[in-house]
Amino acid sequence: MEEVKSNSGQNLGVAALITGIITFVLAVIPCIGIMAIVPGIIAIVLASVGLSQASRDNAPKGIVIAGLVIGIVAVMISFSQVFVAGRLVRHADRWPRDLQSVINDVKKEVTKDLKDGNISIKIESEGNKIEITTGSKKDSLVKQLEVLESGGKVKNDTLHKAK
Amino acid sequence: MILFTKLNSFLRDFFSDVRNEPYLKINLVFAGVIVMVLAYSGIFSPDKNNYPVVCIHEKITGVQCFSCGLSHSFSLIVRGRINEAYQWNPYGMQVFLFFISQLFMRVIFSIYYLRNKGYHKQLIIYDISGSVIIFIVAFYPFFRQLFITVLSS
Repeated sequence: MEEVKSNSGQNLGVAALITGIITFVLAVIPCIGIMAIVPGIIAIVLASVGLSQASRDNAPKGIVIAGLVIGIVAVMISFSQVFVAGRLVRHADRWPRDLQSVINDVKKEVTKDLKDGNISIKIESEGNKIEITTGSKKDSLVKQLEVLESGGKVKNDTLHKAK
Repeated sequence: MILFTKLNSFLRDFFSDVRNEPYLKINLVFAGVIVMVLAYSGIFSPDKNNYPVVCIHEKITGVQCFSCGLSHSFSLIVRGRINEAYQWNPYGMQVFLFFISQLFMRVIFSIYYLRNKGYHKQLIIYDISGSVIIFIVAFYPFFRQLFITVLSS
């Protein structure tokens, strides 16, 4: 008499294999890798139940074991994404300091560029014209301040009214 | 009329076989999942930036991870804006090609499976081998990054 093969656990095995493969693909992508732990655990549970049913009824176990193995590997990959998150957190901690050093560099560059420059401001309103010119050199500014403090006239600054 | 009858009988045979063959069930589900991925890329627009799935790393740390911009990249590829897709994520195209190749493989292998009843085992072995190779090639940058990170940790 021919032995009839049981189909027990096969549907659960197929479900576990599909969930496991989808989990595997998701787990490799860092953005959603950690979330893949949930379908991975579902795949392992499905495969375990399917394996116990297949063992009880002496049914083929190929698909169920494949689902279980892929599910376990997918969960391991998904769990390893925690390391990627940890590395990003370390980077995030360093990021404000990097930004501060960039700001300092820019500040230094701008100050250096302005050191030898002259600033001229022209204001025109209802026929009146005012022009203020000054150098941004630290020495000249100090000199001007000294002159102003002593009540003298600032040579570099000009203020005239347009006719 | 003949074409319609042939298609009708093919579909009837296909769905009756799907019930009995796990391989066809798996192929059908995966083809459906890939079509859903393509639909997701088509529905959500990179210009409106209305994607429901966001990067967990970026949300927590504020720093973009290796796969950020993949959804934008897929959407732009679907819309034919390839250059912009590369700017969003340089690996978007190879991952997208993996999904497209898998969609074609699911359809072609299912048809071969139905037509060649004596070669089921060989066909499944070819399918698994081909899919694993394409998967490793497409996701190689992600695997590499993950490997380096885990080792350096």
